[in-house]
Amino acid sequence: MKLVRQLGISALALGLGAPFAGSLFRTQPRGLDLDSIARAIDEGSDHVSARQLAEWIRDRRPGLRVIDVRSPAEFRDDPIPTAENVPIDQLAKSHFAPGQTMVLYSQEGAHAGQAWVMLRSLGVTQAVFVPGGLADWRDEVLYPLLPPNASPAERARIEALSHYFGGSPRIGAEQGGNVASATRIGHGSRRRGC
Amino acid sequence: MNDLLVAGGIGVAFGCALECAGLGDPPKLAGQFYLRDFTVLKVMLSAMLTAMLGAFWGGRLGMFDSAAFYVPDTYLLPQLLGGLVFGLGFVLSGLCPGTSCVALASGRVEGAATMLGLFAGVLLVGMAFPAIEPFYRSTPYGPLTLQRLTGLPYGVMVALVTVVAVSALTWIAKRETGP
Amino acid sequence: MRTRRPYAEPHLTGVCLGLLLLACFALTGQGLGASGAFASVASGVVGTVSPEAAAHSAYFRSYLQDGSPWTAWIVVEIIGVLIGASASAALAGRTRLTSVHAIRPSAGKLFAGVAGGTLMGIGAALARGCTSGLALSGGAMLSVGAWIFMAALFLAGFLAAPFVRRLWP
Repeated sequence: MKLVRQLGISALALGLGAPFAGSLFRTQPRGLDLDSIARAIDEGSDHVSARQLAEWIRDRRPGLRVIDVRSPAEFRDDPIPTAENVPIDQLAKSHFAPGQTMVLYSQEGAHAGQAWVMLRSLGVTQAVFVPGGLADWRDEVLYPLLPPNASPAERARIEALSHYFGGSPRIGAEQGGNVASATRIGHGSRRRGC
Repeated sequence: MNDLLVAGGIGVAFGCALECAGLGDPPKLAGQFYLRDFTVLKVMLSAMLTAMLGAFWGGRLGMFDSAAFYVPDTYLLPQLLGGLVFGLGFVLSGLCPGTSCVALASGRVEGAATMLGLFAGVLLVGMAFPAIEPFYRSTPYGPLTLQRLTGLPYGVMVALVTVVAVSALTWIAKRETGP
Repeated sequence: MRTRRPYAEPHLTGVCLGLLLLACFALTGQGLGASGAFASVASGVVGTVSPEAAAHSAYFRSYLQDGSPWTAWIVVEIIGVLIGASASAALAGRTRLTSVHAIRPSAGKLFAGVAGGTLMGIGAALARGCTSGLALSGGAMLSVGAWIFMAALFLAGFLAAPFVRRLWP
């Protein structure tokens, strides 16, 4: 019985210590490496498309952190699933672990791009942003326009992704075929069941 | 192959732990719902607390990447209804899917009866799936976590859950030693 | 007959189970599970007996698309559970063969077991997990769905308990 009490006390200690754990691990080197920033922008390794982000979320890409840099009020209204809210003014105070991939987004993309530069200046190199922001998320992921000339497999892929996030694809302007008949595809090789 | 060896090893340890706690014993499990036997809650809360604190601190100390740990998808209504139906079945059989295997392994025929029912249940859902698929896929929230729902930092959420779980366990211990 | 050892201390066993769950997460990235094994085997049976029926249901298809349903991770894990539990029960002298006449459960009780199992099969399929996979593993990862499932489970259990009191004297 004594052992059980000790276990309970250690659990409490570990649990109550948890809120203060983040502050212990902030040792990022600071400095602005302009060359590497220019290179990243040139190569396009500074951004990902909304659809790519959606696939990462669905496939649970290890270490993925989706960060909404808008205000808390805007974030509450329509966040991307799994995103966390880090408004621009909080960014410099946040902790980012080395193994994580940060994906930044904002309403239209401009603020996310600026936040990306801010993170680079903090020495965080493993960040990318979504250029079109939430607008792209809606147009490419939630309510994508099915291209009329896309193959059935391609359509099913777009449709499955849209359904996963609770949206539904729009039908391409040139054709009126029924989208609903396209077969749905499960989510990859994740272990099923419990 | 290696993967399946791990699966088997973890399964053996899992079965052993459940059996040692007495969770292969239907009256013991059902006793939870009559507030006679708190083994189910004690084991579940202790295990969850340990795993939650372990995942948090292990991840913070860089022992493993806890951000990659699988968080189940939330589907609000299917999981709410599923939980209600499941609870009803739990109190009827005095076993759950994992513990039905433990009951059978320790020689109890009730375990086999429940396992048979479980097969029937998933078969029914599978057969009727085209009809219930819209409901099955309704109200999706993705891998939503409590900290994201509440907007609190992960550490604060861990602390809150710890306090609630430890208080619940203390309350149970008091109740048992009391009058 | 060997002496029957009492069950272990529940909190300690819970901590061991939690460490096991953590090891499972660290090794495979996912938690423990049970109901998925039933779904996987059921899908395998349907896929063998009637491939058309299996192809017709997206539920069965989802279990058949990632290789053989008979050697899925979770099925092997459950076979391990059967081995581990029987070894543990035998070593501690806790094996209770309830098929023998004196302590055989009544037909009503067995029927309740089958009915309860069926309900749990349906519930676990709808919720995409059971007490091990969703409530325990998901609960430790602070998944909202896991906590909703757990709350609904205990709510229904406590509400239904007075009506089936006869089963558990």
